[in-house]
Amino acid sequence: MSQENMTTSDPETTNTESDQLIDTDPGRGGLDESSGRGSVTSANTVIEARNVNVWYNDDQALNDIDMRIPKKQVTAMIGPSGCGKSTFLRCINRMNDLVDAARIEGELLFNGKNVYDSDVDPVALRRRIGMVFQHPNPFPKSIYDNVAYGLRLQGKTDNMDQRVEDALKSAALWDEVKDRLDESGTDLSGGQQQRLCIARAIAPDPEVLLMDEPASALDPVATSQVEDLIADLAEEYTVVIVTHNMQQAARISDKTAVFLTGGELVEFDDTQKIFENPESQRVEDYITGKFG
Amino acid sequence: MTEQSQPPDLTGNRGMQQTRETLYHVVFFACAALSVVTTVGIIVALLGDALSFFGSYSIVEFLTGTQWSVLSNSFGVLPLVYGTLIVTFGSALIAMPLGLLTAIYLSEYASKQMRSVLKPMLEILAGVPTVVYGYFAIVYITPFLEATLFPSISTFNALSASIVVGIMIIPMVASISEDAMSAVPDSLRQAGYGLGATKFNVSTRIVVPAAISGIASSFILALSRAIGETMAVTLAMGSKPGLPSSLHPGELFLRPYSSMTAQMVNTINGELSGGSAAYDAVFAVGLVLFVITLVMNIVSDRIASRYREEY
Amino acid sequence: MAAETQSDTDFGEVSQLKGILFEYLSLGASLLGILSLAALLVYVAVDAFGLEAADPLWFLIYFVTLVVPTLGFVGYGVKNRAVGTVGGTSLLYLLGGLAATLALSILFIIFDAQQWLLVYTVGVLPAALVFIYGRMKEWQQANLLTPIVFAVGSMLGVFLKGPLATFPQKWIIYLWTLGVPVAALLGSRALNRDGRDAAVATAVGTLAIAVAAALAGPALTGLNSDVTLLLGLFVGAPTLAYVARVVRTGHDGVAGLLMPVVIFGGMLLGAFVVQQVAVAQPESWVTWSYFTNPPSQLSAEEAGLFPAIVGSVFVITNVAIMTLALGVATSIYLEEYAASSGLLGKITRLIQVNISNLAGVPSVVYGLLGLALFINGLGLGLGIVLVASITLSLLILPIVIISSQEAIRSVPNELRQASYGMGATRWQTIRNVVLPQSLPGILTGTILALGRAIGETAPLLMIGAATTTFAPPTGYFDSVTVMPLQIYAWSSQPSDAFRYGVVAAGVVTLLIVLLTMNSVAILVRNKYQNES
Repeated sequence: MSQENMTTSDPETTNTESDQLIDTDPGRGGLDESSGRGSVTSANTVIEARNVNVWYNDDQALNDIDMRIPKKQVTAMIGPSGCGKSTFLRCINRMNDLVDAARIEGELLFNGKNVYDSDVDPVALRRRIGMVFQHPNPFPKSIYDNVAYGLRLQGKTDNMDQRVEDALKSAALWDEVKDRLDESGTDLSGGQQQRLCIARAIAPDPEVLLMDEPASALDPVATSQVEDLIADLAEEYTVVIVTHNMQQAARISDKTAVFLTGGELVEFDDTQKIFENPESQRVEDYITGKFG
Repeated sequence: MTEQSQPPDLTGNRGMQQTRETLYHVVFFACAALSVVTTVGIIVALLGDALSFFGSYSIVEFLTGTQWSVLSNSFGVLPLVYGTLIVTFGSALIAMPLGLLTAIYLSEYASKQMRSVLKPMLEILAGVPTVVYGYFAIVYITPFLEATLFPSISTFNALSASIVVGIMIIPMVASISEDAMSAVPDSLRQAGYGLGATKFNVSTRIVVPAAISGIASSFILALSRAIGETMAVTLAMGSKPGLPSSLHPGELFLRPYSSMTAQMVNTINGELSGGSAAYDAVFAVGLVLFVITLVMNIVSDRIASRYREEY
Repeated sequence: MAAETQSDTDFGEVSQLKGILFEYLSLGASLLGILSLAALLVYVAVDAFGLEAADPLWFLIYFVTLVVPTLGFVGYGVKNRAVGTVGGTSLLYLLGGLAATLALSILFIIFDAQQWLLVYTVGVLPAALVFIYGRMKEWQQANLLTPIVFAVGSMLGVFLKGPLATFPQKWIIYLWTLGVPVAALLGSRALNRDGRDAAVATAVGTLAIAVAAALAGPALTGLNSDVTLLLGLFVGAPTLAYVARVVRTGHDGVAGLLMPVVIFGGMLLGAFVVQQVAVAQPESWVTWSYFTNPPSQLSAEEAGLFPAIVGSVFVITNVAIMTLALGVATSIYLEEYAASSGLLGKITRLIQVNISNLAGVPSVVYGLLGLALFINGLGLGLGIVLVASITLSLLILPIVIISSQEAIRSVPNELRQASYGMGATRWQTIRNVVLPQSLPGILTGTILALGRAIGETAPLLMIGAATTTFAPPTGYFDSVTVMPLQIYAWSSQPSDAFRYGVVAAGVVTLLIVLLTMNSVAILVRNKYQNES
């Protein structure tokens, strides 16, 4: 097991270096224009979708998505329910693999590597892309074991106590639970549970954090705590968040992607631009509440 | 972007772990496949000896013969089929009405509390070992019947066997029928009440007809259980193969007979080594029994899946 | 249906009578089967315990000392859930401990305790230590090393048996091989709950109770020191630990601890009063000698169930191990691995349909399978433990699989998603999330299925199991009888002493065993439901 950790952690460090190289690569502007939707020129792309199409049996859930998600920023995906935004999120870490009926076409690049290549192991992928779900789903284990879950899976077991503490601190939960790490994670309140799930997701130090409507099941106070947390997380992680709440997207995200019915990505741009001066009439109608 | 010098390694490369995953997958699949092996084993075991039996004994004589006697080497299955049928028929007379009424009561009348008490108690009926039922039949039920209703009853008789088997299969009828009745949508009931029907009307004229396929499925399953029942029947009815000489109820019910299962137990006790005609004949009877119960289970399953589709 | 002659204000009376009659008819039908069985059970209990010989006063005494207080307490427990939970749990500890003691003492009749000592010392214990060390230090190689240590050590233990001549007393063997692990287990549970001091106290206390029971027990109870040690270990220590926990945490249902006191106190008090009053007692067939004597075909007074009880415990233990392993593995495959489409999907559906059909195959046919395949096919002996165990395992396997599948299916999908989302592999998800969550349900279903296996007779007759043996089996290739077979054999005895005495006692014994198993299953389920 420890050997394998060596092999997975090694390329990780080299990757960050190569990413920095790309950061200064002048040739990227042209590529962005050719993609035609929005411009992500200033940022450095972590995830790139190229002509992604997804079907559930015969129903098309995503239609020809092209998108570039920038590093260490919060990218929000909004749209009416059934527009495919969650589906897209689950494509990124291949959670859709668990759905037999799902079929995907196109390329989804993570640091330049198509995650649907045959040599990609979805398990290895998910270890580098954390995920937080709509309903808080802590394991019925102790708070400590919840946070340590991913660390143990990946064999990152040295300095375990410190890593758990750091993750809980990053998730702004440490002060509330430091005296009761042995209690069950399911005994926490809903907002605390969701922050525990965030701590669990970031403990193994992933590059990207996917969040599927993480605050939709929470009360307003807990929601604002989680929102504050997301803003802080963007300093270290690339955050991709799906939300049905437009105000939330406006508050916390740097970039916003608007999906509309039929699994179509209509507009993707800086959040401010989307909410103040969208290019598409349909997006404007959606933002101003004329439909959806 | 595409010409990134070093794409991330996402191949996992988890060597041992991947091998372990595959190993577990294979092991679990092998365990699951074992159930198919069991079925194949049953079929091979039954067919093997049954075929060697039919090699030396005419299949027509087996199916139409009216005498089963190991001593005289005559293996006509009809007396055994009669023994099985009479117990199945008798137990159905008891279990079907009682089970159906129980299901109606549980699904339509019983309070939640009543249900939570009655259902586990009903399950006990199916949980008592069959040999205990057999003991009850010969030691308590038959003497009781002899003392009260039927002074002419034999020590071993079809009636007491029918009674205990009937009691034993009530839960099967009741629980499956109740599931079917509970699955009837409330809107149908409300439509009935809206038309001024009483609870009795709704239960008997709306719920029962709507759940009829589930009820039928429960009946078939219970019958198949009664056909395969061994120890209670062996102990209560004995294992003396024969056909009734008249259609008088006393002749039909109060005499000892032998069911297929009872004869299997009885014959095999003397012929365990294999190779003899009697030994093979037991497998032929076993094959008949297996085919009958299998067909009934499949039919019951088909009917049941129909009602699941309906609602 | 309705009377048609109403005025505007009079709605008339729709025939209520028919409805009421029908309701009571269906209620009567529901109760008829239950009441008939209840009547039969009363009859067999009266015969088995020889209650006819007892004075009415005897019944009155026990009614007042035992039945009334127990029923009252149960009623209180139903009203006050916390008390009911504590009462039920404390009974579970007592019953479970008693069952474990009985089962282990019986299994050590079959298996050689000295051999076990060696295998445990050089095989099981080191492997367990390696495993625990790996867990604590997060040392992953331990997973690989554990089975190797276990295999090598166990083999070494088997070979050591020859050269070694002297062995410690049986109770010391138990103390070392069973007492130490139980103490460690209870201690580690206390560690998680209450910290270090409590853990040490629990572990040391457990060993102390076990030693005390072994040293003082024989004088007090007349049992062997090894049996009293087991009682102290499995009944005394866990119950005391539970009591201590409930009292210390100030649980709402602390009064529930009186439940066992009420029951056992009632029994003792009843016995005391009966002795004082010198009233005529029942002439029970269910006596101590009935459990320890070999069967007799001639003398009802001397007949006993001993070999059949040992045989049943041995066979059921094997069946439990086999069905649990195979049943859980199969249900994991069907619920967690199986594809729903393609060729594998078709195979999976075939397996699923096949399992539900196997559940409907008459038990006697399984007996034919065992006879043809294992005895006449593989040449194994008639009616030996191995064949009996395999045949019964195949018989209840479909039931175990179906109930385990339900338990696994009830694990919320969100937990699986969370685990996969963390980058867990399928097996890691199963081991860390699915199995711990579904284990209580799996255990409940398995215990209920084992209840069916323990009462099965027909398949064992078909594989030539002896209906009567005079000595318990001592190995897998010994011929075996079990309780229902012995009952079957005795029930053809014509004499009343057998019909109404010995057999009734056997029936009651079998039913009590079944009842205990089912209550344990239900208590496990309820405890789990309360926790989640």
